[in-house]
Amino acid sequence: MKTRVLLIGGRNKAKSLASSLINKGYHVTVINDTYEDCMKLAEVEKLTVINGDGTRPFVLEDANAGDADIAIALTSKDEDNLVVCELCKKKFHVKKTVALLTDPKKTDFFYKMGIDSVVCAISAITGIIEQQTFMDKIATLVPIGEGRVSIAEVPIPGTAPAVGKKLWEINLPKQVVIGCILRGDMTMVPRGDTRILAGDMLVLISSDKQEMAAIQELTGR
Amino acid sequence: MKPFGNTEVNKRYTVVIGCGRLGANLANALSDEDGNVLIIDKNKDAFRKLSPSYGGLTVVGDATDLGVLQEAQINKADVVVAATNNDNANIMVAQIARELFQIDRVIARLYDPERECVYREFEIDTICPAILSAKEIDKILAKTDLSTANSQEGEA
Repeated sequence: MKTRVLLIGGRNKAKSLASSLINKGYHVTVINDTYEDCMKLAEVEKLTVINGDGTRPFVLEDANAGDADIAIALTSKDEDNLVVCELCKKKFHVKKTVALLTDPKKTDFFYKMGIDSVVCAISAITGIIEQQTFMDKIATLVPIGEGRVSIAEVPIPGTAPAVGKKLWEINLPKQVVIGCILRGDMTMVPRGDTRILAGDMLVLISSDKQEMAAIQELTGR
Repeated sequence: MKPFGNTEVNKRYTVVIGCGRLGANLANALSDEDGNVLIIDKNKDAFRKLSPSYGGLTVVGDATDLGVLQEAQINKADVVVAATNNDNANIMVAQIARELFQIDRVIARLYDPERECVYREFEIDTICPAILSAKEIDKILAKTDLSTANSQEGEA
């Protein structure tokens, strides 16, 4: 049986998330309280669109919230997202609830209220902007475990201080390991005596936000 | 901030959120009864609804913001009343008061009684104007029915 996902609120976010989820084979229903937004959402194929206020129990009932496996609240108001998730959880027994949050200070509170996953847009976006602005040496950075651990891809330019050094000679922070080196077509899992060469692509695994320090150590920036 | 210079510890401290008709009336009444009251509203102009004799404090700010609640010293409150015109905001503020600040008595106004299930397990008291009004009207009708019945009996 298809996993059923319920999206509440959000216009552009809901639309792109819905198309992506439908492509992955989920059954998706969206609830939106403005008629114009619903018309836009209805352009997505195979998407069920319901016009109504998702914080009202009868609207959720119309959307068959009771059958949903995952509910994702995407409205711009924190209080609405909280109520949507609580209703889904308590009244409709949805297994997993996800809430978008504007105010980062309320993250813990939302978790305490029983929401399974809280996504804080502001901290996520500021994090990405910071990365893009100050770490242009990083090709990609993937946060894991709510950002506590991250995997980063670091290209080593010829000018980097780490070039020519063996791994054990580099003073990396304790919470960082070099998981893999991509060299040309080769991939290798390095040991302490592996030498870093110019043009290598290092895959770093780091916790406690140590990736910045490690990257500075490796590339000199 | 030190809201109450005189150390009358026994006075009940009530924080009212939302200075609408309900919030303002409640704050006025509590202030008249000589209680410590603080009222929060997003809009400064809302405080015009308070009576000139209102002796409590006012805070301008969004009560769903934890900083504003801290400024209002909500942790010292004995009672918190959420009376904004937005049900969901009332739910969130009431839950914040209950869960993050451990306030014993939290009362929330709720226009839509259907959402009440969200409150139940948090032991938050709710009042629903529609249900209260319906009961009151019912009472009035019962009374008038009785009196008309009586008067008809009298005529007969």
